[in-house]
Amino acid sequence: MGERISDSIELMVIYTKLKKEECPLISFSPTEDESAFVDVAQGFAKDVIRPMARDCENNRAVDAEIIAKAEEIGVASLEFPEHWDGLELPLISQAQMFQALSYGDLAVVQGLPGAGDAASIIRLDPESPVFDAYKKAGQRGVWPNVAFIDAFNKEEPWAEEMQINKNGNGYTLNGVSHPVRLGAEAEYVAVAAVDTDDEPVVLWLQNPPGGERWSVKAGDYRLGLLSAGLAKLQFDDAGIQADEVLAQGDEARELITQGQTRIRVLQAAKAVGLMEAALEYATEYTAERKAFGKVIAQFQGVSFKIAKMAIETRIVNHLVWDAATKVDAGKKDAVEASLRALYRAHRSSLFVTDAAVQMLGGHGFVDEFPVEKWARDAQAQAGLYGRGHDLITRRGERIVNEATGAKRGVLQ
Amino acid sequence: MISFELSQQQKQIQQMTHWFAKNEIRPIAMEADRLERVPDDWLDKVNKMGVHLNTSSFGGGGGKNKSSKKKESKEKEGNRMGVLATEEMAWGCPAVALSLPGAGLGGPPVQSSGTPEQKERFLSIFTKDEPRWGAYALTEPEAGSDASGVRTSAEKVDGGYVLNGQKIFITNGGRASWVVVFATVDPSLGRAGQRAFVVEKGTPGFSCSRLAHKMGLRANETAELLLEDCFIPYENLLGGEELYEQNSNSTSPSGFQVAMKTFDSTRPIVAAMAVGIARAAYEYTVDIVQKEYPKQGRYFSLAAQTLAEAEQDIDAARLLTWEAAWKADVGKENAKEAAMCKAYAGQMAHDVTVKCLELLGPVGLDGHIVEKLFRDVKVFDIFEGTNEVQHLVTARRQYQPYGIRV
Ligand SMILES: Cc1cc2nc3c(=O)[nH]c(=O)nc-3n(C[C@H](O)[C@H](O)[C@H](O)COP(=O)(O)OP(=O)(O)OC[C@H]3O[C@@H](n4cnc5c(N)ncnc54)[C@H](O)[C@@H]3O)c2cc1C
Repeated sequence: MGERISDSIELMVIYTKLKKEECPLISFSPTEDESAFVDVAQGFAKDVIRPMARDCENNRAVDAEIIAKAEEIGVASLEFPEHWDGLELPLISQAQMFQALSYGDLAVVQGLPGAGDAASIIRLDPESPVFDAYKKAGQRGVWPNVAFIDAFNKEEPWAEEMQINKNGNGYTLNGVSHPVRLGAEAEYVAVAAVDTDDEPVVLWLQNPPGGERWSVKAGDYRLGLLSAGLAKLQFDDAGIQADEVLAQGDEARELITQGQTRIRVLQAAKAVGLMEAALEYATEYTAERKAFGKVIAQFQGVSFKIAKMAIETRIVNHLVWDAATKVDAGKKDAVEASLRALYRAHRSSLFVTDAAVQMLGGHGFVDEFPVEKWARDAQAQAGLYGRGHDLITRRGERIVNEATGAKRGVLQ
Repeated sequence: MISFELSQQQKQIQQMTHWFAKNEIRPIAMEADRLERVPDDWLDKVNKMGVHLNTSSFGGGGGKNKSSKKKESKEKEGNRMGVLATEEMAWGCPAVALSLPGAGLGGPPVQSSGTPEQKERFLSIFTKDEPRWGAYALTEPEAGSDASGVRTSAEKVDGGYVLNGQKIFITNGGRASWVVVFATVDPSLGRAGQRAFVVEKGTPGFSCSRLAHKMGLRANETAELLLEDCFIPYENLLGGEELYEQNSNSTSPSGFQVAMKTFDSTRPIVAAMAVGIARAAYEYTVDIVQKEYPKQGRYFSLAAQTLAEAEQDIDAARLLTWEAAWKADVGKENAKEAAMCKAYAGQMAHDVTVKCLELLGPVGLDGHIVEKLFRDVKVFDIFEGTNEVQHLVTARRQYQPYGIRV
């Protein structure tokens, strides 16, 4: 493992141990190594990420100091396979780490450079020569940014805006993507889509320095995740060579399905960190703020809401861990577990962050306190990663259509 | 390691109880509801089969287990087994499940606070040929959620105590061989004055004055108990006199603490029952939708969304419940998790049965188990501490690190 991943022997030892399996029994205990790592990540989140989050938001970019520390911890290579010098961690370990980091600030975590969501695609098909240049570039010490455009679901209106035509052994790409994170500074783009012949396809393109394979469309982003490099990418007759086609047909469909599943779990895990931050902040604030002669926590309108926030946060935590362990074990219903984990993560993070603003009253609404930012970030996160009702309806359709739906998962 | 897989033994417990619930409980559920009682011959039969509702034998209580040396002794699994089994039983029918012979909610206080002699004397009776029950009597007309308001008096006399008072809403209270009764030696002492007694059936002055008629959970007995100059010997003071003397300072665990500690192990059990009820309603409704709904269109989408939400809510409650039980098993403080799972599961189960009834429409009114489950489930958001009380406990624990009491 190269020096660039981690200077710390200790972290490497932890990473190695994180892959060990143990026997099953209902348990909510992270392994000692997971806990050790989470401690490191949490310290980083609290001491470095949180205090700089506003500046990052104002500068629309993650601060270099944060990036350096994240590189040291190896955040960019958690999902990469070992022979990529990656850490190839189980999803359950990654979920806990991202949860711990996002407790610092979600927008910053979303803006950390590297392969972003495309890391999961790489994890699933690391041998492909399509990745050669990217892999080589990473050996310079830092992984270049990749924007992941998921236009696979044809029913989404924005999927229509990307036209992918077959052209010999390659494709021609036209149109504009929906806003994606890491888009603004992306050197590579991964596209998961359906071509004009209705065939699934996964493409992997590089924009060489000075190249014009795509252009970044300036946007007016104000809602949230403002340090995440949000941007739309525009393609004008961009030619895709055969050696830039990662997968086609059934192979592409499988790759996309599995990739989306991993991405959903990781994104939902980040939402848990955000919720934990908002819950803790609101608890602390209401424990000190006085009104009508006592601390407001002593009013049940306040304390019961805090209790509900605590319950929702724990629920999403569990659903994410459940989905992550299912993915790791290759369970048949891992896809469904990921759909519902992300659905609940969106629904509950909107509730918890909104409630946190409410608990701070007028102070919640102004930017001297972080809660208004978290509420915006949560909303942007939900917008970026799927409409809640779409996710849950998709899971529901499986329940109603498959005779097994109701019983599965209950009796193992 | 984080794992939501069941061990081989856990799976077996789950499958066995499910088999029992499906083949023995379900078939009598609707009839028992109509009769407002569980048939005696059925009780005899299941007693002979050795099926009990002994929450205490599941490991009872979130107390310390001294295996901090890890791995040396095998990890306790009783609480996890308990929630797995009761979910299945309640899936069959919660009212019948609660009527199963056994120490029931009386078990945990005896298990956690009784002397070795008391444990032997009171818990061994459940292995006998005849079905036997235990019960737990805290609630009074003027003291429900506010358990510190108990008025039943315990006057110290030669050789023991004399109890006077009234207890209401006592599950299996009429048929119980013994009841753990909470009383006070001096109401002005508040919590510190409370004591827990084991009052045996047949004690002079101890009687069941009335059985309640209820919205649901009808097959299960809910009794009003009277204590009129009831003499209770020292041997029946739970934990013995020393427990209370040692602790006569302000930090003492009193009878009140005995009552509260019990909740840490019973609330996850009650939450698991709520999960089982919600699952029963959900599975029934999925079957109907699969058989009778058009495969596309507005109603299909509505059903898909409603059922997926329900399924998620059920699993969310189960995971919270498992966490509380797991904490108890590994000897971690679990009061917050016990309150969280109970708060969430009780409300969730009500909401899920409501959604299922809505999907079923008028069809759900006639002879279908979901309407019964709706009537049954409401009390799960009330007994063992109301929804509001669970939020209070959760909030209290949440604010504990900040040094304020809410
Ligand atoms: C079927 C059934 C079985 C039962 N079995 C048993 C048993 O076996 N043993 C036993 O001891 N008891 C049993 N109970 C009693 C049950 O535990 C009590 O009914 C319950 O604790 C609520 O008390 P209460 O009825 O006096 O309501 P109250 O305490 O009067 O509550 C009324 C309302 O006020 C709310 N409230 C009260 N205090 C607060 C507060 N501080 N903050 C916010 N809201 C508050 C409550 O949440 C509730 O909504 C049973 C009850 C039923 C219906």
